[in-house]
Amino acid sequence: MSENKNTINRRDFFKGAAMGALGGSVLAMGVYSYSPWRKAQFPPVKRKMVDIGACKYVKITNISETSWFNNADLMNDIKGAGGLLVDQYLYNWPPFGDGTGLGKGSYEKGIAKIKHLLPNDVDEAWDITEKLSVHPENAGGYACLIEMEEMNGKQHKYLLDSGWSYKWTHECFKREGIDEMLKNREIEALFISHEHFDHYWGIPVTFKYDPNIPIYIPDTFYPEGLQYLKDSGHTGEVIKVKPGLKPIVPGFATYVFPIPIICRVYGEQSMYFNVKDHGLVSVTGCCHQSIIQFAETAYQEIKYENDELYGVYGGLHVSPFEDWDPKYDDLVLSLGKYDFKKIGCNHCTGIVCAKKFAEAGHPIVKGTARYRSKEDVYLGNSDRIGFGIEV
Amino acid sequence: MERYGVGYLEERKLVKRWPQPMPAIVALVLTLAVFYVTWWLFQDPRGWMRMYTPYVGYMYTRWWLIMLIWMVYIFNYWPFKSSWLENSHPLYKGAILTAVSVGILVILIKGFFEGLLGNFGLAYFNPNRLLQLEGVTEFFAIEYAALACLMFAAIASWLSPAWVVACEEAPWQNMSQPAKGFSILIMTFFLSTMIYFMTMHSHMGILYYPWQYFTSIAPPYWEKFANTVSGNFHVSWIMCCTVTVWIVETIWERFPFKLIKTTWLRRVTAFFGIIAIAFALHFFLYFAQELTWGQAIRGTRRDFAPDWRWLHVGEMAVFFLVPALFLTFYCGNWPKRFSLPTNVLVRTLITAAAAILLYIFYYATSHYFLGTQKGFSHPQQFPMIPTIWLINIWLAHHWFMDNWPGWKMVPKTADEIAADHAKEKAELADVRWNPRLGWGLGVGAVCGVVIYFIILAILPWAYESITIIH
Repeated sequence: MSENKNTINRRDFFKGAAMGALGGSVLAMGVYSYSPWRKAQFPPVKRKMVDIGACKYVKITNISETSWFNNADLMNDIKGAGGLLVDQYLYNWPPFGDGTGLGKGSYEKGIAKIKHLLPNDVDEAWDITEKLSVHPENAGGYACLIEMEEMNGKQHKYLLDSGWSYKWTHECFKREGIDEMLKNREIEALFISHEHFDHYWGIPVTFKYDPNIPIYIPDTFYPEGLQYLKDSGHTGEVIKVKPGLKPIVPGFATYVFPIPIICRVYGEQSMYFNVKDHGLVSVTGCCHQSIIQFAETAYQEIKYENDELYGVYGGLHVSPFEDWDPKYDDLVLSLGKYDFKKIGCNHCTGIVCAKKFAEAGHPIVKGTARYRSKEDVYLGNSDRIGFGIEV
Repeated sequence: MERYGVGYLEERKLVKRWPQPMPAIVALVLTLAVFYVTWWLFQDPRGWMRMYTPYVGYMYTRWWLIMLIWMVYIFNYWPFKSSWLENSHPLYKGAILTAVSVGILVILIKGFFEGLLGNFGLAYFNPNRLLQLEGVTEFFAIEYAALACLMFAAIASWLSPAWVVACEEAPWQNMSQPAKGFSILIMTFFLSTMIYFMTMHSHMGILYYPWQYFTSIAPPYWEKFANTVSGNFHVSWIMCCTVTVWIVETIWERFPFKLIKTTWLRRVTAFFGIIAIAFALHFFLYFAQELTWGQAIRGTRRDFAPDWRWLHVGEMAVFFLVPALFLTFYCGNWPKRFSLPTNVLVRTLITAAAAILLYIFYYATSHYFLGTQKGFSHPQQFPMIPTIWLINIWLAHHWFMDNWPGWKMVPKTADEIAADHAKEKAELADVRWNPRLGWGLGVGAVCGVVIYFIILAILPWAYESITIIH
């Protein structure tokens, strides 16, 4: 009997081996996977240190940061249409309203109502779409003017985004003199951060004054977005920027992040400026990739002055609807580590977030709360900020 | 005396109408068709009710799963009688039982959580109360309330089956229904409430400005360990517990815990053993993301954020549950020809391989037909919703409809039930510890550790070699 007990046969061996394999792998998973030893598996971060050159300064004028005026109306529309994943072209928001009601629209039906008026008669087009759309009075938009100077003294002007409401964007352009700059071909290019309604749907207002302006878009646009460029009367060059770094002029590069965004949008383009003697300035539309990711990407990809992150301008996409999530607190708690010297946030950063940033001691630049910007806790409409220059 | 459905699952024999793989294919096609139609009706952002907001849809999906577990595992089909279950047509039976499960679901959400808890306990369970907060829109009021509800559901969907699978219904196993069901329900609900307060309440407490320091622990105690203040850290391990309970119950046939002879020790070991395995999975799936995407960076968003990484652990885990249930429900828990541990190992490997393929397939294609967002890390991208929705349909099909039409239900005879018990006994005797297992066990354990490290080494390369999302 005892001999039998100790004789190993193939079946017994496999039985034991199967038990052991399951136990051994589960044990290793549990003991090693979240231990400090696991860090030995991570390759060291290799910095590419791409030289994008340097510029003397960057100056930004906030044309509009108020993408919409009433959170409740916007969120009720989103809720009524089926939530944050519904394709933005289906909402029946202006300028693609077709009179069929919330959540029943389409790009094709909407653009058919106004296409013949674009880009020259944007006010007339807006009058039409106002009657056919859901909550047209709530549409605002995001756009800013970027002025920079190269080290050799050459100056450049660019537009980042072109708002949403034709009416509001037109009003803001006139207020800031953008219409004249476009007419005079002073603005070299329009950069679109991403395809969202509040950043992109106001493009005919830019094209009204300069239909030939070169436009840089992420190469992740959906077919409707690409068609809208044509239907808006754009005749200039379209540069589709692939994910990754794209140098524009010395001291300025854009970076496309291939990320999914609500309302069926994909990819965002943001900007890096390397300001001489100061450090890196990040300019964003919504920064869906997050400011930390944007900063970490800069650290890994490019070389910048003093190896310092100097400033930020734009939406930081934390609580655009004044909602909150504990993960946003992770940002508030960890932003200090990056030691930004000047943070000119607004738009989708959210007022609650800006207040929390200020309370945490982050260098938030306050605004003046004019032209329908709600609070002075961050930079509002018509406010300016300079990096490497006083404004 | 007329019996309720106690023992119905054990005492039913599902007879295939055609040779395999035909019944499995028919079941898959049929359930996928039902999945797609119901997805369009209830969840799809382009469909009718558009509940995939996502939290509203997720809450109902998760609680429906628990309703099914309650009805079958805890209440043993009470108040439906065995004779009715045995004699009713599967379609009729399925319609009635599904309708009952949905009815209880609505009463629970609207009556218990929103009405009772939301009005007399915790305001955040009731969207109307949240709306009274300045600045909160109706959309987020509903989403926050749904989030709280579904976090509770995550815990309950682990503990409800765990009390049956691991604790073997103790100490009420000999009680008749509905006393047994209510006893287990109250016990698991009580435990769920305790764990909810210790894991999720702080997450809800810091949703508000300023942090609710005096009603919840803020910042939460797990902040340093998990590298986030988000409750997703807990969602992750709790989801792994849910998956592990069902893996143990289905493809593992309660192995290895059923090898323990001492009853109380077996139950305690099984309950905490499931948690231990779940934590191993929880840590490993987090590590797998670090190896493929790089280390998480606190404060960032999307696929580099620690809170999303933890959530994604739960999402990855649920991909393992889908093939495990399919293997058990529709493939007769294949294979059965080897010893129990070898069968379990082979099934685990099949499940893991199928889970990886399903994961790739889901992220490569789901945005084309589910109306979800392209990409891994969109905050509104919740693979747990479609996967659990499909699992719910399978549970209703398997438990309420006897796998109709690929199978036919025939009650087992007393001799067949006795033979099953004898077979189970012999199987256990075959794998209980004896010295002859020692060499194999040792070699297997070493192999398990080596395989783990080989997987770590090839993961980054494997991920680089394939493009999941174009």
